[in-house]
Amino acid sequence: MTFPLSGVRSFPNLWKCSPYFGLSPGHSYFFLTDYCGVRNQQRWFSLKRMSPQSTKATNVPIAKARYLRKGEEGSNKQMSFDSPHLFAAGAAKRRSQMNPQSKDHVLSPVKNSSIQLPEKPLDSKEWDKLKEDFQGKANFENWISSQMARCHSPINVAKSLLAWVAAKNNGIVGYNLLVRYLYLCVFHKQTSEVIDVYEIMRARYKRLESGGYSLLIRGLMHSDRWREAVMLLEDIKKVMTPSVKNYNDCIQGALLHQDVNTAWNLYQELLGHDLIPMLETLKAFFDFGKDIKDDHYSKKLLDILLYLRNNQLYPGESFAHSIKTWFESVPGKQWKGQFTTIQKSGQCSCCGKTIESIHLSPEEYEFLKGRIIRDVIDGGDQYKKTTPQELKRFENFVKSCPPFDIVIDGLNVAKMFPKARESQVLLDVVSQLAKQNLQLLVLGRKHMLTQRFRWRKDEMEKVQKQASCFFADDISEDDPFLLYATLNSGNHCKFITKDLMRDHKACLLDIKTQRLFFKWQQGHQLAIINRFPGSKITFQHILTYDTVVQTTGDSWHIPYDEDLVERYSYEVPTKWLCLHQKT
Amino acid sequence: MTVFLKMSVSVTFLRPFTKILVPFTLHRKRSIYSTVLQRCMSSKIPAVSYPDKESISPPEQLELDGWKTTMKSSVQEGVSPVLNKDEDTLAATRELIEMWRLLGKEVPEHITEEELKTIMECASKTSKKKYLKFLYLKEKLKKARQIKKERKAAAKEEAKKAMLLETTEEDKQQNFPFLRVWDRRINIAMNWKGVQAMQFGQPLVFDMDFENYMKPKELQNTISQLLESEGWNRRNVDPFHIYFCNLKIDGAYQKELVKRYGGKWDKLLLTATEKSHVDLFPKDKIIYLTADSPNVMTTFKHDRIYVIGSFVDKNMQPGTSLAKAKRLKLATECLPLDKYLQWDVGNKNLTLDQMMRILLCLKNTGSWEDALKFVPRRKHTGYLEISQHSQEFVNRLKKAKPSNSFPKGSHVHTEKVA
Repeated sequence: MTFPLSGVRSFPNLWKCSPYFGLSPGHSYFFLTDYCGVRNQQRWFSLKRMSPQSTKATNVPIAKARYLRKGEEGSNKQMSFDSPHLFAAGAAKRRSQMNPQSKDHVLSPVKNSSIQLPEKPLDSKEWDKLKEDFQGKANFENWISSQMARCHSPINVAKSLLAWVAAKNNGIVGYNLLVRYLYLCVFHKQTSEVIDVYEIMRARYKRLESGGYSLLIRGLMHSDRWREAVMLLEDIKKVMTPSVKNYNDCIQGALLHQDVNTAWNLYQELLGHDLIPMLETLKAFFDFGKDIKDDHYSKKLLDILLYLRNNQLYPGESFAHSIKTWFESVPGKQWKGQFTTIQKSGQCSCCGKTIESIHLSPEEYEFLKGRIIRDVIDGGDQYKKTTPQELKRFENFVKSCPPFDIVIDGLNVAKMFPKARESQVLLDVVSQLAKQNLQLLVLGRKHMLTQRFRWRKDEMEKVQKQASCFFADDISEDDPFLLYATLNSGNHCKFITKDLMRDHKACLLDIKTQRLFFKWQQGHQLAIINRFPGSKITFQHILTYDTVVQTTGDSWHIPYDEDLVERYSYEVPTKWLCLHQKT
Repeated sequence: MTVFLKMSVSVTFLRPFTKILVPFTLHRKRSIYSTVLQRCMSSKIPAVSYPDKESISPPEQLELDGWKTTMKSSVQEGVSPVLNKDEDTLAATRELIEMWRLLGKEVPEHITEEELKTIMECASKTSKKKYLKFLYLKEKLKKARQIKKERKAAAKEEAKKAMLLETTEEDKQQNFPFLRVWDRRINIAMNWKGVQAMQFGQPLVFDMDFENYMKPKELQNTISQLLESEGWNRRNVDPFHIYFCNLKIDGAYQKELVKRYGGKWDKLLLTATEKSHVDLFPKDKIIYLTADSPNVMTTFKHDRIYVIGSFVDKNMQPGTSLAKAKRLKLATECLPLDKYLQWDVGNKNLTLDQMMRILLCLKNTGSWEDALKFVPRRKHTGYLEISQHSQEFVNRLKKAKPSNSFPKGSHVHTEKVA
């Protein structure tokens, strides 16, 4: 079992040695149709070639493993064709899994400590004995209490520890032990104990620190003395901004005790601090809303949905369920909610309505263009990414050309297949696109023009015939030019690169512009997804609709995150909640 | 069996009870005994089998909560009178830090008014914690140093006593050719060499035009590194003539330098100028050293002026110094780190003093292997094996060039190769 596996591991390295058969576009068709046959021949051939270099490769089991691997790769390829788009939730995860180098690191189990944590309350003699057994560097009381907090020991055990410490220490227990005990009480939801500790802390200390306050707030919110927790929040505010968790606890507590006004006030305050509320907080409002039939409250809930829209937040799965339940509970409106997906055309599979377009409005477009020039290309120092002379040259060049349909990142495209010759790949892509009568621009660096093994002059000349080309200095960055050329050509223009442009997005200073950039990028970036050189190029399809919470008054479409899908920050969810009124 | 055993145990326990019970249930003594026993056992059995579970007898349970009453009863320090808001927040912050310290967080024990104000000015919670940790480590270091100092003083005292005992017996009269004034001699010698370098030394420029790119912390680090570089240069056999170019008078660099050097600043054997290096030297002779450069330095040229940007970049602004060189149309070079070292971690930007030592070593010996031993060991896993062929190629190149290098340097170099 393990042997073939190691064979699989070694495979990519072996494969690198195999030569690329320079297939011209004419052959590529054949390549696709008779894919299996060619692959097989090539495989055996390369195996034979490999044998003098690596004795391992002659092993039949390994060859078998490689064959298996081939099948796997094929299925992967199938998957990549199915995969919705470059920015779909989970796409990056899948890409990383396709990469054989990545190995999951299994977390080593937590190291065993020499001392078994007591499971029952001990008396002082037993504690004394345990202390003698302890051989760590740390303070025993400190260490054992933090271990107990980590393992969620029963509070009786913790209490017996405190009693022992107090007995040794004239009835005084240190603040750190007290806080850890409080943590256990809160964890085990022992409200009466929490209140006891609260009394003690109030008697002993004038003020606490943020950790203690947070625990007290969390513990007290479920008791009748929840208003005091709101007072504690005030205490925190004197020194620093409370965390979103503090607000979350307070709001949840207020809702639990039916005090809607306090909850909304706290929510407003939270927004006022420029904090992004936890989705749980928002979910709590929706959950509570089921029992309230009040127009004012409903309006505020809709405001929350708009907040999600404006900040490009997506609810989680359970939150989506809460939203659905709340809408369906609104009397008289007869909302109907369904979980669905959006078709490639941008229509909701459930109600057939068209989702908002991904294209920016003209004002947004102009704004983004200005910002790209100012922040990404210029960035305060034109010499950092380019030179003023080069910028001038580029601007003149762009002005002299008609608007482009597609801008190609020459180096990114050319280096798509490590085995293939760069200029050949670039020529393939350019000539295929040129056949469709598209106005092309190829961006590159000057070194691409010098005759070398990997950059053949004749091929580059062919590229220059079929497309307009601009070559930047070798030490300049070409991506900013790509962005500028695409934006300058207008809304119809797309760009080809596999680069996710995260570093350039980061150059944009405020989060709003970054979102605009991301939206524009989703709508205009073409990524080539071929896994083999020479075959007809296929692009990952571009989103036509914007993934954002949206409404048309009598319908809502809300994208949400599935619990089991890991979404990266530059990806968008693929699942939607469609809400519409029955007519 | 077990029941019987326990019965015999509990009988002794029950004695006081039985005395009370007897008058009522005399005629059914046996049965009463058994019922009481049973009741008693039902309450006792768990206590026997788990001697310390929660259902321990009431007095013990009270003991578990006993600490609470003492804790509650203990009076807190007198409540301070109501202060105005500013002072209140100051006090609150101080208390918060104190509570954090009780919790075992990394915060300083003592904190001055000024530091407290800096904390209040920190924009975010993270920056506050960062600054507190910095203060904590500073305090810890200071304490450790203090303790070491005291220990040393004590040891010295003891050694002195021992010495006194010994020297009384020994004959002090001995013949020495020199008085013990080593330090002063060395300083004078170094200054002499420094003066020589000021007249005939090869210039080495530190470009001080990065004031706006650095935070105060980074600037302080830069100055420390400059001090160190200057020290290394002074001690060398053949020092560079150091230039501090673009040094604005009363700029942040200047202020910090004067603060660190104190009165010595005006007596330093180097050239500090407000002028740029392009004004002082011919442009085609200047080589700007930056890790971002596409050109790799192959040899140390003795007729060129190397420029080092005195810039500590903790803020991820790559290409800043390259942009500077591009603007002035200067040649750039970077150290051939990848060629000679198996790079492991860390970025290729070296500290100023490391650069200085590498350049000094190159200047004196011309050997890259020797020079690059000043690259921190943690950053690379070892030297790369350079194939015989390329080694010969390099040698041929070196021989082909008219040697304008110092005879001593080339001598050492050939020795090394051979």
